[in-house]
Amino acid sequence: MPKTTCKRSRKAALIFMVPAATLLLQGCGQEKTVEAQVYNTPDECAAFYNPPAQCQAAFEEAAALHPQVAPRYANKQECEADFGTGSCETAPQQQSAQGSFFMPMMMGFMAGQMLNRGGMGAQAPQQSSAAARNSVPTQPLYKSRDDRGTFRTASNAPVASQSGPTQVRPSAVQPKPASLARRGGFGSQAQQRATAAQRSSSYGG
Amino acid sequence: MKRIPIAPRPGWQDFAESVGFDFHTIDGEAYWDESAYYQFSLAQIEQDLEAPTEELHQMALDLIPDILQSEQQLTQLAVPERFWDAVRDSWNNAEPHLYGRLDFAYNGQGPAKLLELNYDTPTSLYETGFFQWVWLEDQQMRGVLPAHADQFNSLQDKLEQAFAELPLPQPFYFSSVTQSIEDKGTVDYLMDIALQSGLDSRYIQLEQLGDIDGQLVDLAGFPIQGLFKLYPWEFMLQEEFAATLLTTETRFLEPLWKTLLSNKGILPLLWQKYQGHPNLLPSFFDDGKKPLTPGWVRKPLFSREGANIEMITPDGQSLFEPGPYNDNGYIRQAFAPLPRFGEHFTLIGSWVVGDMAAGIGIREDNSLITKDSSRFVPHIILD
Repeated sequence: MPKTTCKRSRKAALIFMVPAATLLLQGCGQEKTVEAQVYNTPDECAAFYNPPAQCQAAFEEAAALHPQVAPRYANKQECEADFGTGSCETAPQQQSAQGSFFMPMMMGFMAGQMLNRGGMGAQAPQQSSAAARNSVPTQPLYKSRDDRGTFRTASNAPVASQSGPTQVRPSAVQPKPASLARRGGFGSQAQQRATAAQRSSSYGG
Repeated sequence: MKRIPIAPRPGWQDFAESVGFDFHTIDGEAYWDESAYYQFSLAQIEQDLEAPTEELHQMALDLIPDILQSEQQLTQLAVPERFWDAVRDSWNNAEPHLYGRLDFAYNGQGPAKLLELNYDTPTSLYETGFFQWVWLEDQQMRGVLPAHADQFNSLQDKLEQAFAELPLPQPFYFSSVTQSIEDKGTVDYLMDIALQSGLDSRYIQLEQLGDIDGQLVDLAGFPIQGLFKLYPWEFMLQEEFAATLLTTETRFLEPLWKTLLSNKGILPLLWQKYQGHPNLLPSFFDDGKKPLTPGWVRKPLFSREGANIEMITPDGQSLFEPGPYNDNGYIRQAFAPLPRFGEHFTLIGSWVVGDMAAGIGIREDNSLITKDSSRFVPHIILD
């Protein structure tokens, strides 16, 4: 008699808990460079035949990231020693009462997503998802006191010595927050109760 | 409902370890036990377990709006007052929930009796959804079990569907306590299913979660938008980062409102509203001070894996399971014996994914109190 109902899953596959899949993940090989564009200002970006609105949006995205990722200094002198006189500003206050910090001013930006160059604008086809995946984060750029010609990321990775398209390795240009996180704020009850129970066990049930 | 001995598959331990089941044996004691299985009829599954599971789930959800408006009930459930608004917000914003498990005393006849809801951090998920499923396929392939045997176990299908459909931010993080390999196994399984659903899933140790200006952050310091945490809400609400929970924009699985249902205090509240319901046991809040009388069980509001449960059977036999959960209130619940099969006392865990019943997992112990060391035994449906 044919079965009419089935009360169980149709399949039960695993892709991540089995070692074979792990091996596949490890075989990813050499990192490829991707194209990004760097500019001093949104106007300069637009002068390179990029849509002005996209240039402005990329600039604003980078400017928003700037206070989060810019290197921090305890005083203005130390900051200016690295970035030049008049090139530093006060960092926005953190909640913690650690006093004020200084950071270099943003001197340019990198547009990660490919801009629709050449005024293709609305007619341009949708970016493929592969292209989106291969892009790097749009971010602020800086210039050091002793090397004014080079655009650098917040973590001091040089990315270009002139405005326009450039090739970067994605892993080298991942922005990281400059703020220090507090950690270890969860898990203390597990510690206490494990000691009380004198065995390791689950915190599920 | 029968318990039937069966030969374990030769070499199943090696297979288990090759598919991530590192905790099939815990502290030298068997945890996964395939030397027997339980057999149910389809009617037992559908009428006595599946339907009551969905009904009780709905009844529990229906209590929430009343609890949120009642300072008395929030207090009875030991929700810290400074989180009342956060709990309300998580419910009023319809923050989605993923899963839960109802534990039943059921012997094959008559109504299954609800012992408790595990609605925040339920485990034994992998054993139920994956390993038990593979066991049946294997035993059918070997010709040991008939090809038309079935199993009440759509857990993996339903979890995969839930991860595909829930509005979850990406990347989505999964977190558990570093020292528990059992919890890591559960989280790995959920991540595996989430990845199969196309969710960008990442792991972070619970102790490594960071705080920057009131936002939970990952190891690189970026805000965590979505987090599954296999860690009790009632712990998180009293730890160092508790205040972060009031400011962070993180969406949690399970959502904060689940702390009302994973609480034993939901049992007296269910009894108050649905007194006499065939699947409910009489239950009352208890200050833990008066001596227990025969026919009653005392449980802490918050406890896991049978810890700190005290029981006196109707014939006066006294049982107590020590544990580290004696720092909040208690409830008192009428004694409902677990069915006994030979030396084994049997508990049925019935899963809910979203709002649907999704299968069962069976635990066996040689006492009336089911604990983290209780063995997991597979089941089949066969008429």
